[in-house]
Amino acid sequence: MSGVKNVEPFAEGFVAALCPELIIFAGLILLIIVPNLGKGTFRIPGTQTRLMWFLGGDRFRVTSNPKLPAWIATITLGAAFVQTILSFQDGVERTAIVTESGTQLMLVNGFSRVFELIFFGALTLAAFASMNRLEVRGVGPRLSTDDLYNNRRQADFYILMLTCGLGMSVVALAQDLFVLFIGLELASFSTYVLVAFYKESKAGTEAGMKYFIVGSVASGVGLYGLSMLYLWAGSLQFDALASQFMIDGTDPLPLIAMGFVLVGFGFKVSAAPFHFAAPDAYAGASSPVAGILATASKAMGIIGLLRMLLIVASPEASEDGTVWLTLLGVLSLVTMTWGNIAALGSTNPKRMLAYSSVAHAGYMLAAITAIGAWNWDDSLAGDGGESAVAVLTALIFHLVVLVAFKLGAFLVLSILESDGDASRLSSLGGLAKREPFLAVAMFIFMISLAGVPPLAGFVSKLLVIMGIVKVAVGQIGAEIIAGGDLGLSDVHWVWWLAFAMVINSAISMYYYLRIGVVMFFDEAEEGRRGPLPAGWQVRFAILACLMATLFMGVASDKLLEICEVAAQSLNYDWN
Amino acid sequence: MVLLAFVSNGNERMRARLVGPVRMACLIFSLVMLTITTGMFFQYFGDVTWMNIAFNDYEFQFTYVWIESLGIHWAVGLDALSFPMIWLTTFLLPVTIIATWNEKQGATYFPLLLMMGGALIGVFVSLDLFMFYVFWELTLIPMFFLILKWGGKDRRYAAQKFFIYTFTASVIMLLGLITLYFLQDPYSLNYSGTMTGRSFSIPELIDNAKASNLGDNWYLGAQMQKILFVMLMIGFLVKLPAVPFHTWLPDAHVQAPTGGSMLLAGVMLKMGAYGMFRLPISLFPHALYHFQLALMIIGMVSLVWGAIVCLGQTNLKKMVAYSSVSHMGVILIGIATMQPMGWAAALFMMFAHGIISPMLFAVCGAFKHHYHSMEIGAMRGMARHSPWLATSMMFAWMASLGLPLLAGFVAEIMMLIALWHMISLDGWSIWWMVGPALVLALTAAYYLWSMQRTIFEGGDAGQPPENMIGKPIPDIANSEKFAMLIMALFTILFGIMPWIGLDMMDDWTKQAFEGLIVFVGKGGA
Repeated sequence: MSGVKNVEPFAEGFVAALCPELIIFAGLILLIIVPNLGKGTFRIPGTQTRLMWFLGGDRFRVTSNPKLPAWIATITLGAAFVQTILSFQDGVERTAIVTESGTQLMLVNGFSRVFELIFFGALTLAAFASMNRLEVRGVGPRLSTDDLYNNRRQADFYILMLTCGLGMSVVALAQDLFVLFIGLELASFSTYVLVAFYKESKAGTEAGMKYFIVGSVASGVGLYGLSMLYLWAGSLQFDALASQFMIDGTDPLPLIAMGFVLVGFGFKVSAAPFHFAAPDAYAGASSPVAGILATASKAMGIIGLLRMLLIVASPEASEDGTVWLTLLGVLSLVTMTWGNIAALGSTNPKRMLAYSSVAHAGYMLAAITAIGAWNWDDSLAGDGGESAVAVLTALIFHLVVLVAFKLGAFLVLSILESDGDASRLSSLGGLAKREPFLAVAMFIFMISLAGVPPLAGFVSKLLVIMGIVKVAVGQIGAEIIAGGDLGLSDVHWVWWLAFAMVINSAISMYYYLRIGVVMFFDEAEEGRRGPLPAGWQVRFAILACLMATLFMGVASDKLLEICEVAAQSLNYDWN
Repeated sequence: MVLLAFVSNGNERMRARLVGPVRMACLIFSLVMLTITTGMFFQYFGDVTWMNIAFNDYEFQFTYVWIESLGIHWAVGLDALSFPMIWLTTFLLPVTIIATWNEKQGATYFPLLLMMGGALIGVFVSLDLFMFYVFWELTLIPMFFLILKWGGKDRRYAAQKFFIYTFTASVIMLLGLITLYFLQDPYSLNYSGTMTGRSFSIPELIDNAKASNLGDNWYLGAQMQKILFVMLMIGFLVKLPAVPFHTWLPDAHVQAPTGGSMLLAGVMLKMGAYGMFRLPISLFPHALYHFQLALMIIGMVSLVWGAIVCLGQTNLKKMVAYSSVSHMGVILIGIATMQPMGWAAALFMMFAHGIISPMLFAVCGAFKHHYHSMEIGAMRGMARHSPWLATSMMFAWMASLGLPLLAGFVAEIMMLIALWHMISLDGWSIWWMVGPALVLALTAAYYLWSMQRTIFEGGDAGQPPENMIGKPIPDIANSEKFAMLIMALFTILFGIMPWIGLDMMDDWTKQAFEGLIVFVGKGGA
């Protein structure tokens, strides 16, 4: 690993490297303190003197405003987001955070920066849009206990959002499996509570419980695998694990351990057969939170998978494809098909989006499978990883743009949820008449999810398919041009994953279109003909998502470059 | 256009007020486009005669880098294959707008028609596979909304079926295109992407293919060429549509509003045939030889099956829709004859059907609009009540069944001659003539029979539809009369002087044959 600047914690360069995280941390502390500022006093023991120390007591008018936490969280996350974008401007400097003994804990590079972009982008939009979600019953210092308690929840919600963001970015940065797990758990625990936060509905509580139980079992299994890996390699550093894997990677112990760890991440990306909690969780959580689960949380799981599968059990470590190739190929096929078939039959838009998210997890797994197969062709010797980088670029691009249209769709549902409920297909009815902007936006999100040009969803799906085909075709083109007569049987079998993706896209078209049909064709439900609840913040967030969906569809060049840099920096041996 | 669509999303009253100006603006815009394309034909814009353009050479070329890392370009150009289609699109747009002048909710309807036209033109001009695919899919969205919002009773089912059928086919085509993309030698083309090293440029692909198809080398090898040919053809055959992929068409047509049907039948179906000529045929002539028999069978089955089903229809619009399937069979047979005459027949059929079928649907639309029924037996003696509608109906029906001196006849007779050529030159069985002969009779039968039942019969007083007994029966509106008149005039024009369009098509065919087929020996398969 050349060209890496090693920085010890709190040494010079530390702040610059971890600026977005530190911003979040500062915001977190602000968020804890600020709502508590008031006219509280402190009596010096043994005297009658009371000193103002501004904590507790009657809150000030400004600090008691229940909207304040939302603004703090949004501004914090937004600042972190902007900071991340700015760091791209003159190339990302590779900085490693090391301990005194030189062990790498975190690595800041293009890869982690792009994922920070995803996390902070999604969270900013979700936090901003949530401003209209949590009910505000009163503003001011003198309220009933219930109302005060309710206002207090506002702060809790956004604190959890920030911890979630912090945990996720730690996952993106981690160079050590243990650090990664700490980040993962920090983010997971925040999301468990966030899912259960929608306690106004019974489904919310149930969803929180289910998500927590299944999630902690998955984490437990992952942690068990982690301990086995430590037993085997004596270290949890990715580098150490990878070099150990080169030596005896096909022993049963590391393979079983890896399997266990993958269960943990598989749950996060909601890959079949670990996806069962996902539809319940999405349906029960408030929509912005469900949007985070489907975008940021999923990206976090993908990081785990990439690190384990591509760095530790890397494709170069074994001849003709990696050990996990077939397994992952089958998983991806099952995941995408299962997700789509289940989505066909679900009449709850949120469950449908959850299953569509399962299907998308299948597409991503297909991409990872293709990366695992990139050195299958002996004649690819000249390919130092270009194909792998191409697929990885596509995968990262997909995760980035997914934030725009997946979260956007959930935000539209969020408005409907505050209007009453969004758990039936018919609650979308007549949306085109009630608020045309939302209907058009939702339709665009839907066909973008389905992959219709010229939207971002099309470009990302096209890139993934292109990456897979590129790997599968390999140098066959050159052989053919040299006069060989080769057919599909000579192409690597991952080509059929691309075929499955294509067929699955066609299946998925049905349920995405159904949403559009209901919005434009059906009448609104009884008693829901009136205008939708106001709230410019959520509409602004939807507009931002819409613009991103359209813009990334036609002008994806710049983002593609960033993603390519990120893909190259996952593994510097590929370029 | 897009701006207009947005503007029209105001409130209802605003919308009502907007209809007039929006409609006018759409009409003017489409007329300007028509003027431009017509001007191109008469060489007012650009000195292009559309003759002697070498195969795979394009006029009015323009290239701009779109996504550099993937080798995607905004590349447009015209040749004698695409120009007639573009002229047809620009011709149909104003005609459609006029014919459906009084459509409800016009402020969104007319801009959608324009968007549709824009996407269609995009398909025909694009010289980049990516761009081609983008526009190809883009045509689905306005059509989906046209059917969904202005359609008949089962529009919901029809719109979804239409979208899903064509989308499925085109994603398979997309996978074929991507596989083709990666089978090329990296960095062998001018417009290669920086990341992938390949290019989406259609002219370069065709150049490469042509160079390698020279002699008896199959471009990309025999197996691969066949696989890719099939994958691409699936996309185009569903769009065309050919039996057994045709079932979306009658549903979509019956439910679609008149304007939607006119554009759907007039231009959108031709996208399938256009795509065949542009990609699989130009790239894989060997595979075309290999699958000649299969195409011929599909074409024959479409032709005969479409005609037979027509006989059994009681719904006027459904009958016309199936007659489209039958006519698309003619195009497919024309291609499968592998005779220059057959290809030219296919091209001219695309064009002629593009003028006649919108007229058929305009008649159906007027029928529905004024008699609130589509059933053939619903009324009799129309000639007495609505002479204008009866006359246009008769004219359109005659044109479609191939009356001499009308445009449809030219294409059909050319197809028959090409078929004879094929039989006598290439030694095919004479039994191949049975299908077209049978269909000639069948077509005449279903058209005449339906005319007899609607226009004539019913005694001197006629027999108005039940729901209109006692009310005055209106004739078609002036705008409809005008649109019908224009379409009829052009049908006659291209029937009497087919060379106006046929010359350039014939020329393209000749060039294409010289470029492709001559090198491919008969033993190519």
